[in-house]
Amino acid sequence: MTATHCPYCALQCGITLEPSTQAEASEPVSLKGRDFETNGGALCRKGYSAATLLDHPERLQTPLLRQADGSLAPIGWEQALDLVADKARSIRAESGADALAVFGSGSLTNEKAYQLGKFARLALGTSRIDYNGRFCMSSAAAGTNRAFGLDRGLPFPLADLDEAGMILLLGSNVADTMPPFVRHLAGARENGGLVVVDPRRSATAKLCEDNAGWHLQPTPATDLPLLLGLAHVLVAESLADTGYLAARANGFDAVKASLVSWWPERTAQVTGVPAEQIRRTARALAQAASEAKAGGKPVYILTGRGIEQHANGTDTVTAAINLALLLGLPGTMAGGYGTITGQGNGQGGREHGQKCDQLPGYRKITDPEHRAQVARVWGVEPEIIPGPGLPAVELLEALGTPTGPRMMMIHGANPVISAPDASKVSRALASLDFLVVCDFFLSETAAQADLMLPVLQWAEEEGSMTNLEGRILRRRAALEAPGNARSELWILSQLAQRLDAPGRFSPAPREVFEELKEASAGGLADYSGVRWDDLDAGAAIYWPCPAGTEVRAEPGIRNGTPRLFLDGFAHADRRAVLVPVAFQPAPRKNTSATVSLVTGRLLEHYQSGAQTRRVAELAQAAPEPLLEIHPATALSHQIAQGQKVVISNERGEVTARALLTADARLDTVFLPFHYPGSGTANLLTEAKVDPHSRMPEFKHAHVSLNAVEEEQ
Amino acid sequence: MTEHRPQRIVIIGFGPVAASLVEGLLPAAASGQCAITVISAEEHLAYNRVLLAELAVGAAEFEHLGMVDPQRLADAGVEVRLGVRATGIDRSRRRVHLQDAGHIFYDRLVFATGARAVVPTLNGLNFDPHAEASLPAGVFALRTVDDANQLRESLGPGRRIAVLGGGVLGIEAALAIATTGAQPVLVHHGPAPLGRVVDADGGALLARNLRAAGVEVVSGAKATGIHKDDQGFAGLMTSTHGLIQADALLISTGVRARTELASGCGLPVGRGIRIDEFLCADTERRIFAVGDCAEVAGQPPAGLLAPGWAQAAWLSRHLLELDNSTVSASLPAPDFSASDVLMLKGQGIELTAAGDISAGYWDEPDLQATVYADPARGRYLKIVTRRDAVTGFLAMGLPQTSAELVLAYERGTALPEDRSALLRLDDPATEQVSAIPSDEDQLCRCSGATYGQVAHAVNAGCTTVTQVGESCRAGTGCGGCKAKIEELLAKAPAVA
Repeated sequence: MTATHCPYCALQCGITLEPSTQAEASEPVSLKGRDFETNGGALCRKGYSAATLLDHPERLQTPLLRQADGSLAPIGWEQALDLVADKARSIRAESGADALAVFGSGSLTNEKAYQLGKFARLALGTSRIDYNGRFCMSSAAAGTNRAFGLDRGLPFPLADLDEAGMILLLGSNVADTMPPFVRHLAGARENGGLVVVDPRRSATAKLCEDNAGWHLQPTPATDLPLLLGLAHVLVAESLADTGYLAARANGFDAVKASLVSWWPERTAQVTGVPAEQIRRTARALAQAASEAKAGGKPVYILTGRGIEQHANGTDTVTAAINLALLLGLPGTMAGGYGTITGQGNGQGGREHGQKCDQLPGYRKITDPEHRAQVARVWGVEPEIIPGPGLPAVELLEALGTPTGPRMMMIHGANPVISAPDASKVSRALASLDFLVVCDFFLSETAAQADLMLPVLQWAEEEGSMTNLEGRILRRRAALEAPGNARSELWILSQLAQRLDAPGRFSPAPREVFEELKEASAGGLADYSGVRWDDLDAGAAIYWPCPAGTEVRAEPGIRNGTPRLFLDGFAHADRRAVLVPVAFQPAPRKNTSATVSLVTGRLLEHYQSGAQTRRVAELAQAAPEPLLEIHPATALSHQIAQGQKVVISNERGEVTARALLTADARLDTVFLPFHYPGSGTANLLTEAKVDPHSRMPEFKHAHVSLNAVEEEQ
Repeated sequence: MTEHRPQRIVIIGFGPVAASLVEGLLPAAASGQCAITVISAEEHLAYNRVLLAELAVGAAEFEHLGMVDPQRLADAGVEVRLGVRATGIDRSRRRVHLQDAGHIFYDRLVFATGARAVVPTLNGLNFDPHAEASLPAGVFALRTVDDANQLRESLGPGRRIAVLGGGVLGIEAALAIATTGAQPVLVHHGPAPLGRVVDADGGALLARNLRAAGVEVVSGAKATGIHKDDQGFAGLMTSTHGLIQADALLISTGVRARTELASGCGLPVGRGIRIDEFLCADTERRIFAVGDCAEVAGQPPAGLLAPGWAQAAWLSRHLLELDNSTVSASLPAPDFSASDVLMLKGQGIELTAAGDISAGYWDEPDLQATVYADPARGRYLKIVTRRDAVTGFLAMGLPQTSAELVLAYERGTALPEDRSALLRLDDPATEQVSAIPSDEDQLCRCSGATYGQVAHAVNAGCTTVTQVGESCRAGTGCGGCKAKIEELLAKAPAVA
């Protein structure tokens, strides 16, 4: 029996795998929930059914090369690897190293994320690497970095939420995306203190019913002014914790002045949230926070992609952090601010150097000292490490342009579905000279590849992952991969050898982990004191964990840094920073012909659906995208229940059947983004990006609706 | 080679709109692209006038009203001259003359002089539309911190404060006064406060709500003068209701743009300083105006902050562009059109109104009036639509409905054909279908387990939620359906 973790989200639920003994078993391993702290033995439907993908008939088992007639034909590994190396060399010789690009993922293990960044910089010599986490955690990362000097999704153990008296949860539908998370909301709900902010009455918003709390339902893309309005009430009613602010934070005066213009009635007119609800929420937070500081139950403010995936995502995160700071919470036992990381290794994926501006250990690629430290570990001169590259949206836009990359390697991502303005992305990929995709299924992106390399799935590989609370976990292999699928570490080591790359490129996860630790030593995300054997023994270790940290594996013992900032923030003066942020209401204009579109996730599917759409149980439960629309809005658009609707704007059009629900706002429709083809919600989203994080505007677009008359 | 000298921008007035203009220029000031001087006759840095009633009754503190962080301005090199009055503009020499303080040069000059309270023609009050009126003791407006302090000093248990003017500011002031134990008397002309914003039924409900909140309402009053005793103000004389005795008088009868400085230097002035759609007052593009003192392209000042802030945001960019180049005449005109949405602020009466609600039920067919009245719960709604787009509405006691109506009104979106869908927003009783679930209905969202599967597990001998979970995964995700499983377990026949 193998103890490991679910392959999907950042909750990384504990599971056990046992090889199936019966020959007629539907899955090669039997998967069960394991009593682990984040899930307490619980799993969701995605997790339960994950093992069916291990021996799925569509599983890719050999490298596939695009033929002249457009078909894909199996080739051997030697030929495949030689081809990648040859292409890389010749394109590099003609157009320079930056003509080679790499696109990574928050689903890769720490070792793969680390090795991929190193491979791009040393073996390819390119600066052009970024990853799909840019579409995920970048706004939260930018916001927490500027406020606290450090970005760890939850700066406290998830289980701390269990004790909460009040939780303000913005833009996160955990009841669908990570159901076992809901167990950690039980305390706040019992206390009547769960407040959910979401334009939809989502499954999570419904957790507030029956006096468990309340739901604020703003019109889309107005989370920032709503947060400013909440903070305004704290300041105007003298509810801010001025003692805490004086002792632990800078910037209160500037933020105070910036909030004066957001009195509740003005905020109400912009957000659609009634003024009294704004006052009630702010006052309740202040009351709960003051009780928490007197020894009562802690208070948390948590954000998710709903408020972060906007062109003002970083400022919105900053406004949420400012609210937490005004309440005097971060860095105390009275609560704090956290962001709920999405992808399985969305945390580790953003620490080890696959971001365009970053080196391992959460180091800056522009900082000479940081470069020197990493160069020393890599055994190279700092000068050969390229400078900063392009963040994801810009990188994808640059593909195939005269000065842009001509070749790209994609690992664990499906940008044809998951990137904004998806039809443009698909065209950009098509314009490449050579596209290599590493995946275990022929995803929509892999289907465009010139060369497809089959890789291992979660139950076939060893490695480490870092979950949403910054705890490092072991992913373990329970069975052999089918056919000729190979590990990405092996592929990268083979390619590095063929490209005469300097430095080591071990194919062995544990060796890469040891190197990763060394490279991270002294960095913000310091793993140097994390021992593989301790992880294997089940020790709960949270980074930073510098070398020499005493680690004990007994249950209930937390090692490393379970709670950050208790004795100071990660800025030089140990103080947090309140940054004033502004919201400029859009000029009044007649938008009567359009409605707002928000995009999101379903319980049954994960990310681009490349995996979950292949699980029969999940595909049957949610086979196609449904457009959620208020019955009154549907009526004015002559849309009936179940009718096909074309949802369109200047970027593209999507077809989906209507699902009439009063859970929607009158001015807003919802589409899940997991689906391919004419159901790809991201055909409609805009590649406009946040100035700080380069996060695109995923969560709000204006669309027109047209019912389709169907032949009977 | 001539060295580039920073553009000298002088702003006269330091209210909320000027604060926003300075904020927009701050990065350029910090980088040395422009040098900003702000002249303010008031002794205070910009503060939020919207919250003055709260300040007067002690519900807000002055330090929380400040709209600028002096340290940030100082760091960016912004020069702020408080308590200094500009006395004249010499446009040919590009100088602003200051009272007792010489003069300063400008490359661009921005009037942000705002508006002053209108003092009505009443016996016993000086009337001068173009100067700060000197009012007798116990008579004041509510435009400045000093006014708020005067109001604060007039308050006390049982003290009667007459509020002249039934507009939104008068109502808010009266409501705020009522929370202190003093007795506000709202004196206004017309049948109900808020004039044409409300219809007869809405006005009656508003007056009722005001009285319930402790405000004495005197409607249809025509004030003629003030009555003084040796303490100062002692009552308001009316031709309709005789003498209304009170200990102080708060005048809330509108504002008038401060334009005398502009007209004194030959700039055209109407209801405000006359500027073009690019906020410019002169042909040389040296002088601009924003906010309550400005008449933009023939539109009188709205007396609202939102358009002023939009102007300030646009002008801060425009001034920097002007510095870099000559701006072409084909520039698209910015849009500063103001919303006329009115929302009564924070005193327990929920009232939101916009547009024109005068249409009757039987008016022209494409102008539809929809009305809902619920006197027992203090709720009233009137919506006027043209082809389903809102042209006016009044909502009382319906916070969620009115919040949605504001958005629909602002965007011009069509309302649901069935307007009662809006009312249901304020009645969140969810339409829970209590139909008996069938075997195929999902019991557990997380696992997808159905009622039938759980029933099967129970029939097969499971006696605990855990056992049911092991059998069919129900209840093993978020845990939210445990109660339903327990219910099915309880119903199961006892094993013999």
